[in-house]
This record gives sequence, structure tokens and C-alpha cells, in this order.
Amino acid sequence: MGRRFNILRGSGVRFALLHTVVFVISVAAVGVTAEALVTRALKLQAGQRVEGEAAELLDEFRQYGSDAFRKLIDAQTASGESRLHYALLGRDGQRVAGEHLVARAAASVPAAGASTLAEIRLTGSDRFLLNLRSLTDGTTLVVADDLGSVDDVEDVVANAFTIVLGISVLLGLVAGFLLTKGVLWRVEAVTRTAEAIIAGDMTRRIEPTGAGDEFDRLATSLNAMLDRIMQLMDSLQQVSNDIAHDLRTPLSRLRQNLERTRIHPATTQDYAVAVERAIDEADGLLATFSALLRISQVEAGNQRVTFRPVDLTEVVTTLFEAYAPDVEEGGRILTCAVAPGIVIDGDRELLAQLLANLIENALAHTPLGTEIRVSLLRPGRAERGPAIEVADDGPGIPAAERDKVLRRFYRLERSRTTPGNGLGLSLVAAIAKLHGAALRLSDPEPGLRVTIAFPWRLHVEATTGQTAPLGSSGTSVSGSSLDPAMMHHT
Amino acid sequence: MKVLLIEDDAETADYVGQGLREHGHIVDLAGNGRDGLFLAAGEAYDVMIVDRMLPGLDGLGAVKTLRAAGVQTPVLFLTTMSGVGQRVEGLEAGGDDYLTKPFAFAELLARVHALGRRRPFAQVETVLRVGDLEMDLIGRKVRRSARTVELQPREFRLLEFLMRNADRVVTRTMLLENVWEFHFDPKTNIVETHVSRLRSKMDRGFGCELIETVRGSGYCLRGPSI
Repeated sequence: MGRRFNILRGSGVRFALLHTVVFVISVAAVGVTAEALVTRALKLQAGQRVEGEAAELLDEFRQYGSDAFRKLIDAQTASGESRLHYALLGRDGQRVAGEHLVARAAASVPAAGASTLAEIRLTGSDRFLLNLRSLTDGTTLVVADDLGSVDDVEDVVANAFTIVLGISVLLGLVAGFLLTKGVLWRVEAVTRTAEAIIAGDMTRRIEPTGAGDEFDRLATSLNAMLDRIMQLMDSLQQVSNDIAHDLRTPLSRLRQNLERTRIHPATTQDYAVAVERAIDEADGLLATFSALLRISQVEAGNQRVTFRPVDLTEVVTTLFEAYAPDVEEGGRILTCAVAPGIVIDGDRELLAQLLANLIENALAHTPLGTEIRVSLLRPGRAERGPAIEVADDGPGIPAAERDKVLRRFYRLERSRTTPGNGLGLSLVAAIAKLHGAALRLSDPEPGLRVTIAFPWRLHVEATTGQTAPLGSSGTSVSGSSLDPAMMHHT
Repeated sequence: MKVLLIEDDAETADYVGQGLREHGHIVDLAGNGRDGLFLAAGEAYDVMIVDRMLPGLDGLGAVKTLRAAGVQTPVLFLTTMSGVGQRVEGLEAGGDDYLTKPFAFAELLARVHALGRRRPFAQVETVLRVGDLEMDLIGRKVRRSARTVELQPREFRLLEFLMRNADRVVTRTMLLENVWEFHFDPKTNIVETHVSRLRSKMDRGFGCELIETVRGSGYCLRGPSI
């Protein structure tokens, strides 16, 4: 009920009324104009008729003289053949021949020159159009046309347009109402869908009519927006589920450990061990939390303010030097090929962490004897920016799983037992995204290659020299080739 | 040492205060920024530990005010705010070190010690000496018992940091931050490996070992006299 009331009260009725008024005004304007034009044409025609007839009669007058002409006029009047009316007035203005009525009408017209055209309405009769001609014998010839037919035509036109006006008011109202109802119905469809979604049915979408009009475009956009929101909600839910799930395991381990210690109290030494284990477990949990926090901080993207020129060559070299001995001790080989003098606009700390995570990731998921290659590639042609690559010749990641490993907590089946929280690559992805860099996982056959391709615009400068000073460490690394000294860092 | 702790959370204040007292320090506690400011301006402390989020005047503002008033006491910020920008903010406001909650007490203690014995107006040193170990900072040479020790640049920096903090415990995180400028926690034993390589170059075969591993905390380079 309320909805019907809304339709009557809403903007639709205003629209319909406005539409009708405009419609009526235009029809009326057409009617008035048409009537004026028709009247003018008919009067022009009548004028030409009376003037033509008078001119002809003037010729007859010149030919036959006054008396014969007088008889001719009387004869014309008597015959009644012509639709025109005639009269001949004497010098005193009194009728000499022809119709009394015409003579009376002519008497009220002031004579002006040889030919006068005048429109006269006699009381109780029609309008007349008169043409008065002064003849050489002092008389005046009057030829008149009854304008009654013009009045009739005017009436017909006026009537016709009155009817048309009535119909157009009706049509305007109906069309306006239908149009309004059509528009409101489409708007209502959007409102109903929105209400359904508010009520909790997130799967509802606005049905496009297939007309391809603005409403369909609106519906398509709104539906796309809803899909995007759904996606975000899903991933948010996924993340909170993952967090809840992944934190339960260490928390229950912690609890079990403490409970066991309470049930089987033993020596102080046992307590010390239990406390040590509980602290380790708590530290692990805290590390997971700070990793999550860091990812969301990076993803929030408000750290761009900390961007300043970063010497990537120095960062990669430092990371390589820091990790090489450790990787070696872990039974793997770390090699490095660094392009000199690559500087980009970025966050040094985060870029260092990105590289550390990539190296640690390679270290954690490859067997002994694996070679891990870290490369910094110089910017190439076609506005390709510099790129960091970390590749290994380990077991790699199946193509189908490559996207998934970037998700929080995602771990390959075979990695479930290795230590780690499944957040390393998520943070790498977040840091890459913050820098606008493209992250690509590929298969160097065998193994896994992770490429972080920075955009050209972040690239600050590239010295052309073959070697570059590396800050305080004072070493330099050769260009594109592997430096044997760096490979076996001792 | 005399330590001023400005911390509004009673439990943390208790934990930190008790720990520091057990290690022989005198601890004054302020529960908010205004009280802290009052105490810091009135007494001479060796170190201040300041929480960033405080009722009334926040830690950042308090330290800024103190620095503006010419108080040079070293400040360690203690905070849950772990963002990169926030740490930079803290250091720019006049903080000397920054530790994120949650933290291990050993970490806090090591940092407080490092700050407390820092010479405010240290004369420019060109040679560092610990026992028979000698580091020439200009020639970038290390000698021990008159024997030259060849070090990689990063190992040099590592040893320099240990020597500058001789007789104090330095933690793994302090080394990562100061030697490598890593502000994250690597999952591998970077520090352990580098320290062990450094030891094999300058500490083995010289009679006594200078670099000592402090279990649960970090490392300490000790001169033989102590």
C-alpha cells in the first residue's frame, strides 16, 4: 500500500504532468498558428478574387459606357450566378445599381484613391471584403466577397484542434504515467535487490532486462560492484578462518605442554624444560602475529611515504653476503649476479626483507645440494624496469599451485612438516605490490624462479660503469657474470 | 645505573622494573607522560625507557619536550607500534633505540646497558682496543697479539660493533640492526654463522677467547682484565 502511495507522490507524477503540459502547449501553438495561416491565405484569395472581378468589370465599363454598365451590374446581381456581390454607387454615395446590402456596406468605407480594399462586418450578417473602384463618370463600383466561408473554415480548424488538444492531454497523461511506471519499476527492482542484500541474501543480483539501456548498464555496474565486494568479503573470511585455524595448532600444543607438566610434576629441571618450550611456542605465535601485522601494514600501502632512493645493488649484495655462509653451512649453494648501480625509489627495509624471505623460502623448500641463484637484472628495453630474481633447481611448485602459494598460510602438501608459517611469500607479494612490482613464479626446469619486476617509473638511475661502489662494505661486484669470489664466500 | 621507566601498563612496568632491580639498577617509575617529564627534568638518569602510548602526554611528545629542553639522557622507546614509519618517527623525535613489544627481557637489558654506557660526547676514536685485540678504524686493519687478521668488510663491522660494546651483552637483534641494517627476524642463523666465522679468524688459537656466547641473550666481547 505504502509503495503505491509512493508512486503517486513520487517524482513520477511530476514528470508525467510536466510532460503533459509541454505536450498541450505545443499542440495549442500548432493550432493557433495553423488557424492564422489558413485565415490569411483565404483572405488573400478573396482579395485577389474581388480585385480581379473589379478589374474585369472596369474593362466592360470602358467598353460599353455608363448606362449599359449599370444594366450589366443589375443583371449580374439578378442572375445570382456569381458568388460575388455587386453594387454601383452614385456621386452622392447612394446606390445606383446592384445589391442594397453591398451598397450600405460600401457607404461606411471612406474612399481612398482609385481602388480601396476593406473588410466590413454589417450587424446581423457576415463579414464582407469590399473592393471599391472610382469610375470616370463619378460613380463607384463595389465588388464584395462574403467572408462567411473563412469564418466557417476558422471554426472547423479551431474545433479540430480542440479535439486534438483533448486527445493529447489524455495521451500525455497516459504516456507519462506509463513511462513513469516503467522507470519506477526499474528503480524499484534495484531497491528490492538492495533490500534483499541488506536482509542477508548476498547472492541477489539486479536482473538486467536485456534492453541495453542506461538501466541495464547501471544494473551491470552494480552487479559487478557486488561481485567485487563478495570477493573481498570471501578473502577476508578466508584469512580470518586461516588465522583461527593456524593459530589453534600451536596454542593447543602450548596448552598440552603446560597441562602435562601440571599432571606429572617432576624435577625442577623438567619444569625448566617445560617453561622453555612454552616460551618457544609463544614466541612462534608472536612471530606469526607480527608477520600478519606486517603483511597488513604493507598491504594498507601507507608506507609509500617512507619511499626514498634505495641502492638495490647494495641491498642484494648485502643480503647475499649475509646469507651465503649460512646457506653453505646448510648444505646448499648460494650464487649471485648483480647489475651495478641500480637505484629505485622504495623502502630499503622492506626490500631487504623481501629478498631475505625469498632466500629463506628457497632454503626451506629445497633438498641438500640445491643451487640458489640470486640475480639483480638491469633495466631492459621497452621501459622494463630492474628486476630481482631468486631461482633454485629444487623440486619447484606445480603450475596449478603457483598462485595459491602467495596466499596467507598456504603450504604445499610436502611442506607441511617443514618449519614455517606459510606467510613468507604472502609478505613478498605484499611488498612487491607496494612497490608496484610484478611478481612472477616460473619454472626454470628444474626448480622455481621468483621474479620481482619493478616498474620503470621507480627506477631512479643506472650508472653505466661496470663496477659500482657498495656503500660502507667497500666491495664491488662485477656486472652480469658470476663472480667466483662471491660464489664461494669464505 | 639509574633508570627512569615511563610506562602506564602496571604489569609491564612491574616486569621491567623488577628485572632491572634484580640486575642492580635503581628504577623510578612514572605512570604517565607528565609525571615522567617532571622526573626526567628534575633528576639525572642514565637511561630512560619510554612507552610510546601514554595517557595525557604521549611518549613521543614527552621526549621531544625533553630534547628541546636540552636533556640528553639516552631514551629507549618501548612500544607495540611496529611499523617502519613509526620507528623512524621515534628515532627522529630524539629516541636512541626502539624496542617493539613483546620483547625478551634479556633484549631490553642488553639495550639498556648499551645505551647507559654510551659516552654522550665520545672523542673520535681511531683505534679500538680490547685486550690484545686492536682495530685501526682508519687503516681498517685488525691485529691480535701483533698478528694481522684479514676480515671481510661485514666481519669488520661486526667486530667493530662488538668492540665498541665491549664487556656488554649484545643481542642477535642488535647485531642484525646495527651490522646488517635488517629490521626483521631472519629464520636462519645468519648471526651465529657470521660470528662463528669471525671467531675462527680472530679468536681461535690466541690462548683465550674474547667473544663469549651468552646463552639466551647474545654475545659479549670481554677483555681479559675483567
